[in-house]
Amino acid sequence: MRIVLDAELCQGHGRCYSLAPDLFDSDDVGHCVLLVDAVPDGREADARSGAENCPEHALTLED
Amino acid sequence: MGMEASTEGAPDLTPQTVTKLASADDPRALSRSLREQPVHKVGDMFHLVTRRSDVEDALRRTAVFSWGAVGMNLGNIRPLIPLQVDPPKHVKYRRILDPLFAPKKMALLEEEVVALVKELVDAFAPKGSCDFHEEFAVPLPCRVFLRLMGLPLEDLDLFLALKDDIIRPPGVTLEEQAPYREKAGRAVYSYFERVLAERKAHPTDDMLAQIMQGEVDGERLTDEEVLDICFLFIIAGLDTVTDSLDCIFAYLAQNPEHRRQLVADEAVIPSAVEELLRWESPVPAVPRATTEDIEIGGCPIKAGQQVMLLLASANTDDADHPGVDEVDLERNPNPHLAFGGGVHRCLGSHLARVELRVAVREFHRHIPEYELAPGTVLEYTTGLRSLHHLPLAFPSAG
Repeated sequence: MRIVLDAELCQGHGRCYSLAPDLFDSDDVGHCVLLVDAVPDGREADARSGAENCPEHALTLED
Repeated sequence: MGMEASTEGAPDLTPQTVTKLASADDPRALSRSLREQPVHKVGDMFHLVTRRSDVEDALRRTAVFSWGAVGMNLGNIRPLIPLQVDPPKHVKYRRILDPLFAPKKMALLEEEVVALVKELVDAFAPKGSCDFHEEFAVPLPCRVFLRLMGLPLEDLDLFLALKDDIIRPPGVTLEEQAPYREKAGRAVYSYFERVLAERKAHPTDDMLAQIMQGEVDGERLTDEEVLDICFLFIIAGLDTVTDSLDCIFAYLAQNPEHRRQLVADEAVIPSAVEELLRWESPVPAVPRATTEDIEIGGCPIKAGQQVMLLLASANTDDADHPGVDEVDLERNPNPHLAFGGGVHRCLGSHLARVELRVAVREFHRHIPEYELAPGTVLEYTTGLRSLHHLPLAFPSAG
């Protein structure tokens, strides 16, 4: 599973990196930075949580 | 906005309907009935957008749904920065301001907020009762703001009076309220003009200093731009956290099973704060103005019309999010729009979250059990969802 970030859509709500800080981080303005490309085994639920909590639909998961 | 507005579709709709999304005992029920139509036209040029997908779409399309064109007068003589500025200029202001309010910066405030919360709670814990609104929800965000900006605590009452005269001035109609807003607006400008002059003579290293050093396209912000940012902070940064605290604690006072859930497990608090922000939507709507002829959900809206995006209604729209008509403190996912969305996503949202999480955690460590004082009838305010008073009773401590 991969995480794909659409940086154009991210508005810095910060939901992803507060829910899964080892998968997502914030840059200096508070926008999302991906810490992983491929989701580590066993972390699918957290990746999904980060993506699904984004109010802007900036994060998607690809199999 | 015409006061004898005619309505289409819903005969009881008036321009004040949107204010009831804040003041209703159960705004969810009002939202549900509003969502039966995607758009309600109220009067000649006022529209309510009710559904989540349409609200999201409008928040994103800033060229068509403009903040700058709304022309809302809050006693300010120039557009408030960055709120009433559209892209591309808006982006440049947010580049300066976003880093100052980024989550990692805000997390550094946690200890100070903890100390402040303890001080406020200690003052009323022995009494066994408090007016939560007056004694906690109002002073907490205002004192945090003064600390952030490096302003003296003695100015607290002045700020509160100015903010109230702008957000909730006496009078009912805009015409009656305008003089209060304008007078308070002049006072805000002159207060910060004086502060800026002092800061130039005696530089500091607080948030205000960082704003004064901000640059757009290699040029320092002008004094006017700094004033227009400060003006916005007063009206956007103080009241909304007060409103959120009132809403959250009124809910928890009346729903002991949920309160006990987060007392028993503090790890629930972050998601509980998100859920109660969604449920209560303290900022129930945000305005935009159309810049071209458009259609929402099959309803044509001409250019130059006022559009209210109903965040409260979007937040309880179950079209794509089943189960949102009840409270689940551990809801996941919960991609709510309580802080708005698109480029105007609330600048202070991460500050608000620190204040709300710390307030909920620390208050309940000291006072885990409380209820509305006997005989209390809660009256929510119009516009922004808040309470004039929130009398709580609890076993006295210490």
